[in-house]
Amino acid sequence: MTLPRRLLCVITDEVSYPVTLARMALEGGAGMVQLRKKTASGRELYEWAVRIQELCRQRHALFIINDRVDIALAMHADGVHLGQLDLPASAARALLGPDPLIGVSVSTPEEAVRAAEDRASYIGVGHIFPTFSKDKPSKPLGTSALRTIANAASGLPVIAIGGIDLDNAGEVIRAGATGIAVISAVSGSEDPVSATRDLFNSIRQ
Amino acid sequence: MAEQHPSLPRLMIVSSGKEHLSDSSLAMKQALHIARSAQPVIFQLREKSLTASALLQLGHSIATLFNDGESILAINERFDIALAAGARGVHFPESSCPADAARKAVRGLLAGQSAHSEAAALSTASAGLDYLLFGPVFHTPSKAPFGPPQGLERLGKICSKLRIPVFAVGGITPDKVPACIEKGAYGVAALAPFLDTGSLPEVIKHYYSFMPL
Repeated sequence: MTLPRRLLCVITDEVSYPVTLARMALEGGAGMVQLRKKTASGRELYEWAVRIQELCRQRHALFIINDRVDIALAMHADGVHLGQLDLPASAARALLGPDPLIGVSVSTPEEAVRAAEDRASYIGVGHIFPTFSKDKPSKPLGTSALRTIANAASGLPVIAIGGIDLDNAGEVIRAGATGIAVISAVSGSEDPVSATRDLFNSIRQ
Repeated sequence: MAEQHPSLPRLMIVSSGKEHLSDSSLAMKQALHIARSAQPVIFQLREKSLTASALLQLGHSIATLFNDGESILAINERFDIALAAGARGVHFPESSCPADAARKAVRGLLAGQSAHSEAAALSTASAGLDYLLFGPVFHTPSKAPFGPPQGLERLGKICSKLRIPVFAVGGITPDKVPACIEKGAYGVAALAPFLDTGSLPEVIKHYYSFMPL
Protein backbone atom coordinates (compact mmCIF):
# COMPACT_ATOMS: atom_id res chain seq x y z
CA MET A 1 0.00 0.00 0.00
CA THR A 2 1.35 3.43 -0.87
CA LEU A 3 0.66 7.00 0.12
CA PRO A 4 -0.72 9.55 -2.33
CA ARG A 5 1.65 12.22 -3.60
CA ARG A 6 0.25 14.87 -1.22
CA LEU A 7 -1.37 13.63 1.94
CA LEU A 8 -3.45 15.24 4.63
CA CYS A 9 -3.90 12.91 7.60
CA VAL A 10 -6.54 13.84 10.16
CA ILE A 11 -6.01 12.30 13.60
CA THR A 12 -8.92 11.91 16.00
CA ASP A 13 -8.69 13.76 19.31
CA GLU A 14 -9.63 12.55 22.79
CA VAL A 15 -12.97 14.36 23.03
CA SER A 16 -14.76 14.19 19.67
CA TYR A 17 -16.79 11.16 18.62
CA PRO A 18 -14.26 9.62 16.23
CA VAL A 19 -16.70 8.36 13.59
CA THR A 20 -18.33 11.78 13.20
CA LEU A 21 -14.97 13.53 13.07
CA ALA A 22 -13.73 11.06 10.47
CA ARG A 23 -16.83 11.58 8.35
CA MET A 24 -16.26 15.34 8.32
CA ALA A 25 -12.53 15.02 7.62
CA LEU A 26 -13.25 12.74 4.66
CA GLU A 27 -15.86 15.11 3.36
CA GLY A 28 -13.22 17.83 3.45
CA GLY A 29 -10.82 15.70 1.43
CA ALA A 30 -8.55 14.07 4.00
CA GLY A 31 -6.53 11.29 2.34
CA MET A 32 -5.98 9.44 5.58
CA VAL A 33 -7.71 9.12 8.94
CA GLN A 34 -5.80 7.96 12.00
CA LEU A 35 -7.86 6.65 14.90
CA ARG A 36 -6.12 7.62 18.12
CA LYS A 37 -7.93 7.51 21.44
CA LYS A 38 -5.80 6.40 24.35
CA THR A 39 -8.70 6.18 26.82
CA ALA A 40 -10.96 3.94 24.73
CA SER A 41 -11.52 0.22 25.33
CA GLY A 42 -10.45 -2.35 22.77
CA ARG A 43 -14.07 -2.98 21.86
CA GLU A 44 -14.79 0.69 21.25
CA LEU A 45 -11.66 1.05 19.13
CA TYR A 46 -12.57 -2.03 17.11
CA GLU A 47 -16.11 -0.86 16.45
CA TRP A 48 -15.04 2.68 15.50
CA ALA A 49 -12.22 1.32 13.35
CA VAL A 50 -14.58 -0.89 11.33
CA ARG A 51 -16.95 2.01 10.70
CA ILE A 52 -14.24 4.58 9.90
CA GLN A 53 -12.46 2.22 7.54
CA GLU A 54 -15.74 1.70 5.67
CA LEU A 55 -16.14 5.49 5.35
CA CYS A 56 -12.55 5.75 4.14
CA ARG A 57 -13.13 3.08 1.49
CA GLN A 58 -16.08 5.05 0.12
CA ARG A 59 -13.80 8.07 -0.30
CA HIS A 60 -10.72 6.13 -1.48
CA ALA A 61 -8.89 7.30 1.63
CA LEU A 62 -6.60 5.33 3.92
CA PHE A 63 -7.41 4.23 7.46
CA ILE A 64 -4.78 3.63 10.09
CA ILE A 65 -4.90 3.12 13.85
CA ASN A 66 -2.50 4.48 16.43
CA ASP A 67 -0.49 1.98 18.51
CA ARG A 68 -2.97 -0.91 18.42
CA VAL A 69 -1.54 -3.47 16.01
CA ASP A 70 -3.96 -6.00 17.55
CA ILE A 71 -7.00 -4.02 16.43
CA ALA A 72 -5.43 -3.44 12.99
CA LEU A 73 -4.95 -7.21 12.62
CA ALA A 74 -8.48 -8.01 13.77
CA MET A 75 -10.22 -5.61 11.34
CA HIS A 76 -7.62 -5.53 8.54
CA ALA A 77 -6.83 -1.83 8.77
CA ASP A 78 -4.81 -0.21 6.01
CA GLY A 79 -2.10 0.31 8.58
CA VAL A 80 -0.87 1.46 11.97
CA HIS A 81 0.98 4.43 13.32
CA LEU A 82 3.57 3.74 15.99
CA GLY A 83 5.23 6.06 18.48
CA GLN A 84 8.68 5.41 19.88
CA LEU A 85 7.11 3.76 22.97
CA ASP A 86 4.78 1.50 20.98
CA LEU A 87 5.68 -1.83 19.38
CA PRO A 88 8.86 -1.51 17.28
CA ALA A 89 8.09 -1.22 13.56
CA SER A 90 10.08 -4.40 12.89
CA ALA A 91 7.79 -6.39 15.22
CA ALA A 92 4.69 -4.79 13.72
CA ARG A 93 5.94 -5.59 10.20
CA ALA A 94 6.47 -9.23 11.15
CA LEU A 95 2.88 -9.42 12.40
CA LEU A 96 1.18 -7.41 9.66
CA GLY A 97 3.06 -8.71 6.64
CA PRO A 98 4.49 -6.70 3.77
CA ASP A 99 1.44 -4.78 2.59
CA PRO A 100 -0.12 -2.70 5.42
CA LEU A 101 1.17 0.80 6.07
CA ILE A 102 3.39 1.31 9.10
CA GLY A 103 4.10 4.87 10.12
CA VAL A 104 6.65 5.67 12.81
CA SER A 105 6.92 8.88 14.81
CA VAL A 106 10.47 10.21 14.76
CA SER A 107 12.14 13.39 15.96
CA THR A 108 15.80 12.73 15.06
CA PRO A 109 17.68 11.59 11.95
CA GLU A 110 18.77 8.44 13.85
CA GLU A 111 15.17 7.47 14.52
CA ALA A 112 14.39 8.07 10.85
CA VAL A 113 17.20 5.73 9.74
CA ARG A 114 15.99 3.12 12.20
CA ALA A 115 12.42 3.40 10.92
CA ALA A 116 13.62 2.80 7.35
CA GLU A 117 15.66 -0.23 8.48
CA ASP A 118 12.58 -1.55 10.32
CA ARG A 119 10.59 -1.42 7.07
CA ALA A 120 8.31 1.45 8.01
CA SER A 121 6.17 2.81 5.17
CA TYR A 122 6.50 6.46 6.18
CA ILE A 123 7.74 8.57 9.06
CA GLY A 124 5.78 11.10 11.04
CA VAL A 125 8.13 13.93 11.98
CA GLY A 126 7.31 16.32 14.78
CA HIS A 127 6.43 18.30 16.43
CA ILE A 128 7.43 20.97 13.93
CA PHE A 129 5.74 23.99 15.56
CA PRO A 130 4.45 24.64 19.09
CA THR A 131 1.29 22.64 19.80
CA PHE A 132 -1.12 22.05 22.64
CA SER A 133 -2.63 18.81 21.32
CA LYS A 134 -0.22 16.56 23.19
CA ASP A 135 2.08 16.96 26.17
CA LYS A 136 5.34 17.97 24.60
CA PRO A 137 8.28 18.39 26.95
CA SER A 138 10.66 18.92 24.03
CA LYS A 139 11.07 22.03 21.87
CA PRO A 140 9.53 22.24 18.40
CA LEU A 141 11.84 20.90 15.68
CA GLY A 142 11.30 23.68 13.15
CA THR A 143 11.51 23.22 9.39
CA SER A 144 15.30 23.02 9.07
CA ALA A 145 15.43 19.93 11.34
CA LEU A 146 12.49 18.57 9.34
CA ARG A 147 14.61 18.90 6.19
CA THR A 148 17.57 17.13 7.85
CA ILE A 149 15.38 14.26 9.04
CA ALA A 150 13.66 13.97 5.66
CA ASN A 151 17.09 13.67 4.01
CA ALA A 152 18.05 10.89 6.45
CA ALA A 153 14.90 8.88 5.77
CA SER A 154 16.19 7.04 2.67
CA GLY A 155 13.34 8.22 0.51
CA LEU A 156 10.57 7.26 2.94
CA PRO A 157 7.59 9.60 2.68
CA VAL A 158 7.60 12.22 5.44
CA ILE A 159 4.44 13.38 7.16
CA ALA A 160 5.00 16.50 9.25
CA ILE A 161 2.99 16.95 12.45
CA GLY A 162 2.66 19.43 15.27
CA GLY A 163 1.21 22.93 15.14
CA ILE A 164 0.64 22.87 11.40
CA ASP A 165 -1.96 25.33 10.12
CA LEU A 166 -2.90 27.20 6.97
CA ASP A 167 -0.12 29.72 7.49
CA ASN A 168 2.78 27.28 7.75
CA ALA A 169 1.62 24.20 5.80
CA GLY A 170 3.33 25.34 2.59
CA GLU A 171 6.58 25.85 4.49
CA VAL A 172 6.73 22.21 5.69
CA ILE A 173 6.02 20.90 2.18
CA ARG A 174 8.88 23.04 0.83
CA ALA A 175 11.10 21.56 3.56
CA GLY A 176 10.59 18.10 2.09
CA ALA A 177 7.39 16.76 3.67
CA THR A 178 5.09 14.61 1.56
CA GLY A 179 2.15 15.58 3.66
CA ILE A 180 0.89 16.83 6.98
CA ALA A 181 -0.99 15.37 9.94
CA VAL A 182 -3.21 17.45 12.16
CA ILE A 183 -5.29 16.94 15.27
CA SER A 184 -6.64 20.18 16.71
CA ALA A 185 -6.52 22.14 13.43
CA VAL A 186 -9.49 20.00 12.37
CA SER A 187 -11.02 18.55 15.55
CA GLY A 188 -10.82 21.91 17.35
CA SER A 189 -12.32 23.83 14.45
CA GLU A 190 -15.92 25.01 14.45
CA ASP A 191 -16.17 23.75 10.89
CA PRO A 192 -13.99 20.63 10.52
CA VAL A 193 -15.07 20.04 6.91
CA SER A 194 -13.90 23.45 5.74
CA ALA A 195 -10.80 23.31 7.95
CA THR A 196 -9.81 20.05 6.28
CA ARG A 197 -10.56 21.34 2.80
CA ASP A 198 -8.55 24.54 3.31
CA LEU A 199 -5.57 22.63 4.71
CA PHE A 200 -5.61 20.16 1.87
CA ASN A 201 -5.78 22.95 -0.70
CA SER A 202 -2.79 24.60 0.95
CA ILE A 203 -0.58 21.57 0.35
CA ARG A 204 -1.88 20.10 -2.90
CA GLN A 205 0.02 22.36 -5.31
CA MET B 1 -7.25 -20.85 19.67
CA ALA B 2 -9.54 -23.75 18.68
CA GLU B 3 -6.58 -26.06 19.17
CA GLN B 4 -6.87 -28.48 22.07
CA HIS B 5 -4.69 -27.70 25.05
CA PRO B 6 -4.46 -31.03 26.83
CA SER B 7 -2.27 -29.73 29.65
CA LEU B 8 -4.13 -26.53 30.45
CA PRO B 9 -3.06 -25.50 33.97
CA ARG B 10 -5.85 -25.29 36.56
CA LEU B 11 -4.45 -22.21 38.27
CA MET B 12 -4.20 -18.69 36.85
CA ILE B 13 -2.18 -16.00 38.58
CA VAL B 14 -3.07 -12.45 37.55
CA SER B 15 -0.24 -9.90 37.76
CA SER B 16 -0.56 -6.95 40.13
CA GLY B 17 -1.38 -4.27 37.57
CA LYS B 18 1.13 -2.03 39.30
CA GLU B 19 4.09 -2.27 36.94
CA HIS B 20 5.59 1.03 35.87
CA LEU B 21 9.00 -0.08 34.70
CA SER B 22 10.07 -3.17 32.87
CA ASP B 23 13.05 -3.82 35.13
CA SER B 24 13.22 -5.10 38.74
CA SER B 25 9.50 -5.70 38.59
CA LEU B 26 7.16 -7.65 40.83
CA ALA B 27 5.83 -9.50 37.79
CA MET B 28 9.34 -10.66 36.94
CA LYS B 29 9.85 -11.94 40.51
CA GLN B 30 6.50 -13.74 40.38
CA ALA B 31 7.45 -15.24 37.02
CA LEU B 32 10.75 -16.56 38.41
CA HIS B 33 8.87 -18.50 41.10
CA ILE B 34 6.26 -19.72 38.62
CA ALA B 35 8.96 -20.96 36.23
CA ARG B 36 10.50 -23.01 39.05
CA SER B 37 7.14 -24.35 40.28
CA ALA B 38 6.48 -28.06 39.81
CA GLN B 39 2.83 -27.22 39.20
CA PRO B 40 1.90 -25.33 36.03
CA VAL B 41 0.34 -21.90 36.09
CA ILE B 42 -1.24 -19.54 33.56
CA PHE B 43 0.36 -16.20 34.37
CA GLN B 44 -1.83 -13.40 33.08
CA LEU B 45 0.24 -10.27 32.58
CA ARG B 46 -2.24 -7.46 33.02
CA GLU B 47 -0.30 -4.20 33.19
CA LYS B 48 -2.37 -1.42 31.71
CA SER B 49 0.00 1.41 32.59
CA LEU B 50 2.98 0.00 30.69
CA THR B 51 3.69 1.25 27.18
CA ALA B 52 3.53 -1.35 24.43
CA SER B 53 7.32 -1.40 24.14
CA ALA B 54 7.80 -1.89 27.90
CA LEU B 55 5.15 -4.61 27.95
CA LEU B 56 6.87 -6.31 25.01
CA GLN B 57 10.20 -6.31 26.87
CA LEU B 58 8.69 -7.63 30.09
CA GLY B 59 6.62 -10.18 28.21
CA HIS B 60 9.62 -11.36 26.25
CA SER B 61 11.68 -11.80 29.44
CA ILE B 62 8.94 -13.84 31.08
CA ALA B 63 8.23 -15.89 27.95
CA THR B 64 11.94 -16.73 27.74
CA LEU B 65 11.91 -17.75 31.39
CA PHE B 66 8.90 -20.03 30.89
CA ASN B 67 10.50 -21.39 27.73
CA ASP B 68 8.99 -24.77 26.97
CA GLY B 69 7.88 -25.50 30.52
CA GLU B 70 4.26 -26.22 31.33
CA SER B 71 3.42 -22.74 32.62
CA ILE B 72 1.88 -20.34 30.11
CA LEU B 73 2.31 -16.59 29.84
CA ALA B 74 -0.94 -14.95 28.70
CA ILE B 75 -0.78 -11.25 27.86
CA ASN B 76 -3.90 -9.30 28.72
CA GLU B 77 -5.75 -8.11 25.60
CA ARG B 78 -2.76 -7.26 23.37
CA PHE B 79 -2.37 -10.40 21.27
CA ASP B 80 -0.02 -8.45 19.00
CA ILE B 81 2.36 -8.09 21.94
CA ALA B 82 1.80 -11.72 22.95
CA LEU B 83 2.80 -12.87 19.46
CA ALA B 84 5.80 -10.52 19.28
CA ALA B 85 6.98 -11.46 22.79
CA GLY B 86 6.74 -15.20 22.22
CA ALA B 87 4.03 -15.60 24.88
CA ARG B 88 1.80 -18.65 24.45
CA GLY B 89 -1.48 -17.04 25.40
CA VAL B 90 -3.73 -14.00 25.30
CA HIS B 91 -6.42 -13.10 27.79
CA PHE B 92 -9.21 -10.84 26.52
CA PRO B 93 -10.97 -8.59 29.02
CA GLU B 94 -14.75 -8.34 28.65
CA SER B 95 -14.37 -4.95 26.89
CA SER B 96 -11.73 -6.11 24.42
CA CYS B 97 -11.75 -6.28 20.67
CA PRO B 98 -14.27 -9.10 19.97
CA ALA B 99 -12.55 -12.47 20.29
CA ASP B 100 -14.29 -13.90 17.24
CA ALA B 101 -12.87 -11.05 15.13
CA ALA B 102 -9.41 -11.69 16.55
CA ARG B 103 -9.66 -15.45 16.07
CA LYS B 104 -7.69 -15.70 12.84
CA ALA B 105 -5.05 -13.23 13.95
CA VAL B 106 -4.24 -14.90 17.29
CA ARG B 107 -2.93 -17.93 15.39
CA GLY B 108 -1.74 -20.64 17.78
CA LEU B 109 -2.18 -18.67 21.02
CA LEU B 110 -4.16 -20.04 23.91
CA ALA B 111 -7.02 -17.55 24.06
CA GLY B 112 -9.39 -16.93 26.95
CA GLN B 113 -11.77 -14.19 27.96
CA SER B 114 -13.20 -12.64 31.10
CA ALA B 115 -16.94 -12.42 31.63
CA HIS B 116 -18.56 -10.58 34.51
CA SER B 117 -22.19 -11.52 33.88
CA GLU B 118 -24.18 -14.53 32.76
CA ALA B 119 -25.09 -12.83 29.47
CA ALA B 120 -21.47 -11.96 28.70
CA ALA B 121 -20.36 -15.48 29.56
CA LEU B 122 -22.92 -17.16 27.32
CA SER B 123 -22.24 -14.74 24.47
CA THR B 124 -18.70 -16.13 24.20
CA ALA B 125 -19.96 -19.62 23.33
CA SER B 126 -19.37 -19.19 19.60
CA ALA B 127 -16.16 -17.14 19.82
CA GLY B 128 -13.85 -20.14 19.58
CA LEU B 129 -12.18 -19.48 22.93
CA ASP B 130 -10.05 -21.99 24.81
CA TYR B 131 -11.36 -21.03 28.23
CA LEU B 132 -13.55 -18.54 30.04
CA LEU B 133 -12.76 -16.64 33.24
CA PHE B 134 -15.97 -16.03 35.15
CA GLY B 135 -16.54 -13.83 38.17
CA PRO B 136 -16.32 -12.23 40.58
CA VAL B 137 -17.73 -15.36 42.22
CA PHE B 138 -17.11 -14.02 45.72
CA HIS B 139 -16.47 -10.51 46.98
CA THR B 140 -12.95 -9.18 46.53
CA PRO B 141 -11.60 -5.62 46.50
CA SER B 142 -9.66 -6.08 43.25
CA LYS B 143 -12.71 -7.31 41.36
CA ALA B 144 -15.22 -4.90 42.92
CA PRO B 145 -15.16 -2.66 39.82
CA PHE B 146 -16.55 -5.62 37.84
CA GLY B 147 -19.82 -5.58 39.75
CA PRO B 148 -21.43 -7.52 42.60
CA PRO B 149 -20.40 -11.14 43.24
CA GLN B 150 -21.99 -13.58 40.80
CA GLY B 151 -22.11 -16.44 43.32
CA LEU B 152 -21.54 -20.19 43.11
CA GLU B 153 -24.97 -21.01 41.69
CA ARG B 154 -24.42 -18.83 38.63
CA LEU B 155 -20.92 -20.24 38.24
CA GLY B 156 -22.50 -23.70 38.09
CA LYS B 157 -25.01 -22.59 35.49
CA ILE B 158 -22.28 -21.11 33.27
CA CYS B 159 -20.15 -24.24 33.60
CA SER B 160 -23.06 -26.49 32.61
CA LYS B 161 -23.89 -24.38 29.54
CA LEU B 162 -20.40 -23.84 28.11
CA ARG B 163 -18.28 -26.52 26.52
CA ILE B 164 -14.96 -24.86 27.33
CA PRO B 165 -13.04 -24.90 30.63
CA VAL B 166 -14.26 -22.23 33.05
CA PHE B 167 -12.00 -20.60 35.63
CA ALA B 168 -13.64 -19.05 38.68
CA VAL B 169 -12.23 -15.68 39.78
CA GLY B 170 -12.97 -13.25 42.58
CA GLY B 171 -12.23 -13.98 46.23
CA ILE B 172 -11.16 -17.56 45.53
CA THR B 173 -8.98 -18.46 48.50
CA PRO B 174 -7.61 -22.04 48.47
CA ASP B 175 -10.36 -23.30 50.77
CA LYS B 176 -12.99 -22.14 48.26
CA VAL B 177 -11.50 -24.16 45.40
CA PRO B 178 -13.46 -27.38 46.10
CA ALA B 179 -16.82 -25.56 45.98
CA CYS B 180 -15.92 -24.07 42.58
CA ILE B 181 -14.72 -27.41 41.21
CA GLU B 182 -17.91 -29.05 42.47
CA LYS B 183 -19.91 -26.52 40.45
CA GLY B 184 -18.06 -27.56 37.32
CA ALA B 185 -15.18 -25.06 37.22
CA TYR B 186 -12.01 -26.36 35.59
CA GLY B 187 -9.77 -24.15 37.69
CA VAL B 188 -9.45 -20.85 39.50
CA ALA B 189 -7.70 -17.51 39.13
CA ALA B 190 -6.47 -15.06 41.77
CA LEU B 191 -4.29 -12.00 42.17
CA ALA B 192 -3.87 -10.91 45.81
CA PRO B 193 -2.70 -14.26 47.32
CA PHE B 194 0.33 -14.21 45.01
CA LEU B 195 1.59 -10.68 45.67
CA ASP B 196 3.97 -11.84 48.42
CA THR B 197 6.66 -13.49 46.34
CA GLY B 198 8.27 -15.05 49.46
CA SER B 199 5.27 -17.30 49.98
CA LEU B 200 4.31 -17.69 46.31
CA PRO B 201 5.64 -21.26 45.82
CA GLU B 202 3.79 -22.45 48.95
CA VAL B 203 0.58 -20.70 47.91
CA ILE B 204 0.66 -22.39 44.49
CA LYS B 205 1.03 -25.77 46.24
CA HIS B 206 -1.77 -24.89 48.64
CA TYR B 207 -4.14 -24.12 45.76
CA TYR B 208 -3.21 -27.31 43.95
CA SER B 209 -3.82 -29.38 47.08
CA PHE B 210 -7.53 -28.59 46.60
CA MET B 211 -7.57 -29.32 42.86
CA PRO B 212 -8.60 -32.58 41.17
CA LEU B 213 -5.66 -34.60 39.91
